[in-house]
Amino acid sequence: MECYSEQTCAIFVDGELTVDEARHLRDHLVTCQRCRDLVDALRAENRVLSESLRELPEEAASPEAPSRLRLSWVWGDLALMAAVLALNAIVFVWIDQLEIPGELEWFNPFSLSGFTNLMFNLSYYFSHGGTAMLTEYAAVVGGLFLLLLLGGSALLLGRRGRLRLPGLRLLIVLLTLSLSGFAMERRHGEFVTVPASETVDDTLLATGNTVRVEGVVNGDLLVFSGTLEVHGTVKGDLVSFAKRTVVSGSVEGHIYNFSQSFDLDGQLGHSIYGWARSWRVDNRGHVGDGIVVVAGDFILEGEVKRSVTIFTSNADVSGSIGRELTMAGGSLTLTNAARVGGNLSARVRQLKDVHIADGATIGGNRDIQVRARKSQFTRSGFYFRQAVWLASAMLVGWLGLVLFPGFVQASTQSVGSGWRSLGLGVAVLAGAPVAIVVTAITLVGIPLALMLFAAYLASIYLAKIWVGAFLGRILLRPAGATKHDWLLGLLLGLSILTMVGFIPYLGGLVHFGMVCLGLGAFAWQLYHASRPATMA
Amino acid sequence: MDAKKNSPKGRQLREVKTKQMEGQDLESVIERAQGHDAEALGEIHRRYVRRVFGLCRYMLDSRESAEDATSEVFLKLQRSIKSYNSSIPFPRWLLRVAGNQCIDVLRRRRRGQQVIVEVEDGAAVIEATSAEPSPLGTVIRMEERVQLQAAIARLPENYRVPLVLRYYTELSYDEIGQQLGVPRNHVATLIFRAKQELRRKLPHRSK
Repeated sequence: MECYSEQTCAIFVDGELTVDEARHLRDHLVTCQRCRDLVDALRAENRVLSESLRELPEEAASPEAPSRLRLSWVWGDLALMAAVLALNAIVFVWIDQLEIPGELEWFNPFSLSGFTNLMFNLSYYFSHGGTAMLTEYAAVVGGLFLLLLLGGSALLLGRRGRLRLPGLRLLIVLLTLSLSGFAMERRHGEFVTVPASETVDDTLLATGNTVRVEGVVNGDLLVFSGTLEVHGTVKGDLVSFAKRTVVSGSVEGHIYNFSQSFDLDGQLGHSIYGWARSWRVDNRGHVGDGIVVVAGDFILEGEVKRSVTIFTSNADVSGSIGRELTMAGGSLTLTNAARVGGNLSARVRQLKDVHIADGATIGGNRDIQVRARKSQFTRSGFYFRQAVWLASAMLVGWLGLVLFPGFVQASTQSVGSGWRSLGLGVAVLAGAPVAIVVTAITLVGIPLALMLFAAYLASIYLAKIWVGAFLGRILLRPAGATKHDWLLGLLLGLSILTMVGFIPYLGGLVHFGMVCLGLGAFAWQLYHASRPATMA
Repeated sequence: MDAKKNSPKGRQLREVKTKQMEGQDLESVIERAQGHDAEALGEIHRRYVRRVFGLCRYMLDSRESAEDATSEVFLKLQRSIKSYNSSIPFPRWLLRVAGNQCIDVLRRRRRGQQVIVEVEDGAAVIEATSAEPSPLGTVIRMEERVQLQAAIARLPENYRVPLVLRYYTELSYDEIGQQLGVPRNHVATLIFRAKQELRRKLPHRSK
């Protein structure tokens, strides 16, 4: 009898031959060694195939771990953003711990609303500085980004070995600004308009009170303005520093937005990054990739193809999210129309701040974690952070003492002048942000404003050191004024201040008073140091 | 105060629930999921997301598309799980749904055309000639499995899809034929050719 074809044998092994055919083949196998071997080999092959397929490809090892899945595509961008926000975050946390009473919240330039406002205000004033100023500013920002990227890349290389493109592209866009010879169209005026009939082939840099794009921009669009409206098409990325940004047309690249309010009513090809007081993706809005933002209020009514990561005081989702929704902050509401393809993770202060309507659809797991404020004492990380903070404060104090011994001793001493330091401190704390913004308005003021801002943050940090050292000195009453005595006093003073700082309400008040005292003493001493005659 | 009270309690409650879920048999989890129980749906997601993703990853060409498809499968599951009756094992049913989802994706990419194009010579039986490589060996080492997986991923869609449906989801030729909209004998030919293609790509495994 003639042998069966290999395909017939393969179908037989798959159990897919008809009953009759299978019986005939089985009869044949009894007599034919060759076919028997073939069938055995085919069976083994099937087994190998099934087993190999069952062992999932390496990358599928843990698709359920939301962090890995999400990070794989926004890893680079997140790292970049994290680096940019890291400094702010440190100040945030610290100011947050002050527990400033509600009535005094207006003093706090780092509350979420205060901060977004400050950033918006700064960026808004940049627009009045003209293109030349902007070029300088961009060079500074570009340089900073380069540094952050280098640091970030070093970190990433250790972990993943690659940096995602969008962040790099933002860097390139910003860097190109600092290159004077770069082919770019610049437009400046009260009203800058790209009419529907016009196509801009280069990257467009627009500064003005109102910028309106109805035509097509083939490159990237960079805007510093009061209002930005995109009704037309931007083929590249959109970088906006406008007070109010409205996109009802289409942006094919990414959007990097730093506005007071942002509205997406149209189509976006890729992702949104940035921060704003209020974010809104309307029901006609469509985001081709994901969203990673810091926001005061976040409203999503439209569609986001991939993940949404938000740090917000209030999020309201009634649209659709293709993958994970990760949220940290105040409150989260998912309405009946909301649809989340992947996991939902929320970090909130209280469980009652999360409202998920019964009709809301969530494809993956719900992971809602409550971060109670007081629970920090139970975490070891908290003590570690405090220890690191204390150690770094001691290090800064020691450095100051080695480099400027006279100044440091004198600053410590002038804390003792009580009301003078306190009054001066309050004035500096409240007045410096105003001064910074005013400085930023003037033509040459922007770099100065940035430096002032950095100095302001540093002064707030140093305030605790002066007061700590002073307190330690009072308590220890050392006979001399050696470095050793000063440092010991600082350690004692800081430890006491830190502990007192955790007493509810009173701690906040003490912190606030301490910042004012220290700032005042520092300002007073700076004033004196600037007049050599008095120093002598 | 509320936060203080809610947080440990809520966490404990969740942990307890998760543990209960793990201990539960699949049937009751499915039953509860059919009644729109979010915890049960979450549990199903936890148990099967890897397998579903694995299938999607083999069927589709990129990790991103596979992730999208996986999300879509679990989203649709909330509605479709009602139609599940225990006539076939749940994992198999779920993989069939996932397979359908992937085929939909592939079809959409081809703007509604069939995923599997006609086999040129129809269901013509290919004779096993001495020139054809023989079936892959029985023993296969770990790194070779990885090679085999890579080779499967590189197969043309035409061959890859039916092969994966057969040996990953363990669908019958008829079921694959139904999903792909091609006759059963085409399925047999495509799977057979897929294997031959694999043998060609991994010649050192052939005896």
